[in-house]
Amino acid sequence: MNRTIERQRYLIDFTIASLARRRGRNLGLFAVYTLLVFVLASASLLGYGLRKEARTVLAASPEILVQHLLAGRHDLIPESHLAALRDIRGIAAAEGRLWGYYYDAGMRANYTLMVPSDRTIEPGTAIIGSAIARLRNLGEGDAVHFLSPKAKMFRFGIAGTLPSESELVAADVVLVSEADFRAFFGFPAGMVTDIAVSVRNPKEVATVSAKISRLIVDARVVTRDDILRSYESLFDWRQGMITVLLAGAVLAFVILAWDKAAGLSAEERREIGILKAIGWETSDVIAVKFWEGGLVSLGAFLVAYTLAYLHVFHFGGALFAPALKGWATLYPDFRMVPEISGQQIATIFFLTVVPYTLATIVPVWRAAIIDPDTVMR
Amino acid sequence: MGGSSGAGEMLFHPTVMALLLWSFAAVGATAAAAAFAWTIIREWNPASGSARQLELERRTYLIATLMVAVLVGEAVSLLLFVFNADSMAVMFVGAMCAVGTLNASPYGFPALVAKIVVFFLAVVWLAFNRADNHGWDYPLIRPKYRLLLAIFPVVAGSAALQLAYFADLRADVLVSCCSKLFVPEQKGVAAHASGLPAMPSLAAFYVATAACVAMGWGMRRRPGLAVAYSPLAAAAFVVAMAAVVSVLSTYVYEQPHHHCPFCILKPEYGYVGYALYVPLFLGTGLGLAVWPINRYRAIPSLAEAVPPMVARMAAVSAGSFLVLIAVGTAIVAVSNLRYL
Amino acid sequence: MRTSGRPSSKVIALLVAGGVSCLATLVDSTVRRDTDLASRQSRAALVASLGLTDLSLFTEARYTRHPAMADLHSAFQDHPAAWDHFPTAAWVGPPQWGNQGE
Repeated sequence: MNRTIERQRYLIDFTIASLARRRGRNLGLFAVYTLLVFVLASASLLGYGLRKEARTVLAASPEILVQHLLAGRHDLIPESHLAALRDIRGIAAAEGRLWGYYYDAGMRANYTLMVPSDRTIEPGTAIIGSAIARLRNLGEGDAVHFLSPKAKMFRFGIAGTLPSESELVAADVVLVSEADFRAFFGFPAGMVTDIAVSVRNPKEVATVSAKISRLIVDARVVTRDDILRSYESLFDWRQGMITVLLAGAVLAFVILAWDKAAGLSAEERREIGILKAIGWETSDVIAVKFWEGGLVSLGAFLVAYTLAYLHVFHFGGALFAPALKGWATLYPDFRMVPEISGQQIATIFFLTVVPYTLATIVPVWRAAIIDPDTVMR
Repeated sequence: MGGSSGAGEMLFHPTVMALLLWSFAAVGATAAAAAFAWTIIREWNPASGSARQLELERRTYLIATLMVAVLVGEAVSLLLFVFNADSMAVMFVGAMCAVGTLNASPYGFPALVAKIVVFFLAVVWLAFNRADNHGWDYPLIRPKYRLLLAIFPVVAGSAALQLAYFADLRADVLVSCCSKLFVPEQKGVAAHASGLPAMPSLAAFYVATAACVAMGWGMRRRPGLAVAYSPLAAAAFVVAMAAVVSVLSTYVYEQPHHHCPFCILKPEYGYVGYALYVPLFLGTGLGLAVWPINRYRAIPSLAEAVPPMVARMAAVSAGSFLVLIAVGTAIVAVSNLRYL
Repeated sequence: MRTSGRPSSKVIALLVAGGVSCLATLVDSTVRRDTDLASRQSRAALVASLGLTDLSLFTEARYTRHPAMADLHSAFQDHPAAWDHFPTAAWVGPPQWGNQGE
């Protein structure tokens, strides 16, 4: 055993000396490698972190939501359905929800106006999400004016802001009283936005939602599982698209690696020729070449992963924020819970180190079979 | 709702892409290697000093290096495949662990089995390659490349099954999970294994693995036991898997009726499944390679290298089974479930 | 070590340092975990008490603000080139007729 380790150490010694002789070239490769893994790893950590966040946080969302559909669009649902729903066996509670969107033309931002069921809000006041407070520079005791869709100005005194750690779920939320909500939007009486249903036994969600669909035939029933699954595939799919887009970069990198490995200088050829003349075997040369690739890969991978972790979990994924923001002016300022998954790391490894290794095999072999006499003549 | 459903929607999952990309590369590389293997088997002639022979000798370094990379990658991809199946379970209605994900398409379990077969073949081939490298005159070149010809269809088949599986996956299908599959009342291998009586099955586990350890130990003195060691390791694999399904998993869950061999891989159970499966697969793989390699100990150029190599493989294999016994015993000891 | 001057020792030390920094991310995540999970708990509590259904990550358009609550087919309906979760949106450009005045 010890002999094998010693042998490999001598090979590493030799490899490092040979890497150092071509410092510029190898540092360039290292930099490109690190950058590529960094981008992939950042995307992956960010996607996984958000997915995990959605999975745990939204597990507390309503068990079943009943929407009314009209001509394929979400429509208001009459409150009269509530009584019928409460009669269904297995339903613990059914509650109408009032929420809607308000476009703040001055700030060019979309808010979510909502009537909370867990607290009472004095008419004429509002509780706002902390991203809005930041955007409009508002605090408790201030007041805002919203121009309603019916072209009437409404004044809301700020009764408080939602805690800043809730920004990821409620950055743009404005909580108002029911009377204000209905007056502001001209919301018809007897109607609600949708109905939240809670079920006595969680195992009966499927049966209960089937019963609801039969009772209200034009309804769309969304269960908590649907919500969780749609977030799961949303982030997965986004991350997959990013990977596809980066595939071009990976390919370019592979070509670079191939080129670096294939383009042996005359000096390198002479070097290998001399090694073979003094008794090195083809397999030894292959081993040295693999140590070259392996040291660069491993080093780049370790550095890039650490940088990606810092980027995503300490700097909020700053480089990706513009892409996530899109055209929105309201963007939650959130601190991600570090979630590390071995699978994500293994995936990045497969997408970068493996193609790199495969791309260098043929050039490495070409180098290793060089005949001593052809180069030393 | 996001991500509307349809066949093929899972192909954009990053891990799925990595696995598919890898399997395509592996098939390509193995195809090239198999084509070369055909040439080697027909034209290899160490006595000749022709340019053709020299070319073949050089090329065998390329193929060997390529195959080492491919087969090591295949082993890692088996791990990633299982890991991924487990973590994708959240996307399927009714799935709680890898069983649900694998069951979501008829190609799921065949793909897994094919990957396991590739893993074992890979271990055996890597052992052949290692032994061959020890001899100066390429002593195992023909058997090595014949084996490679046999490996190619398996690698290609496994890649095809995996592609069919991932392309067939749909998030909206209702799948049944381990609580439906690994129950004695059902039909099939899984159900049959779950229905095995607990204590005899545990006893068989100890007998089979202990026999491997004992024989591995005995091979230090009597290398001829290699003939029996490989079949024994294969038998121990089957017995150990049956024991995991029928009894060891129930100790982990502390529920006598939960028989899933995949849920033990979950973080809730401290990833204890990996502690069971890694030594089991390592021990079995190396055990399977012991006998075929040992057959070549009489070749003059290998007389020095093969006996210690076989001894080392047997020792690591037996050691793995010993670890397996230890892990199994620890599971039984820590569990609050008692059969007796 | 008797061979500490060898280049391999230095490089192995560097790689070990890289490995340690990777492990440090694990340590960092565990150290932060208690406070971070508490803030996640408070998010979950708000989701439960207000009956929220979505993350407020993308406030651009109503079907990106509430992907789980949106109409079934709502590509481009809010404004051109809005972030969209349909596969086609990644490839199909925004329609030419909208928003010319801005």
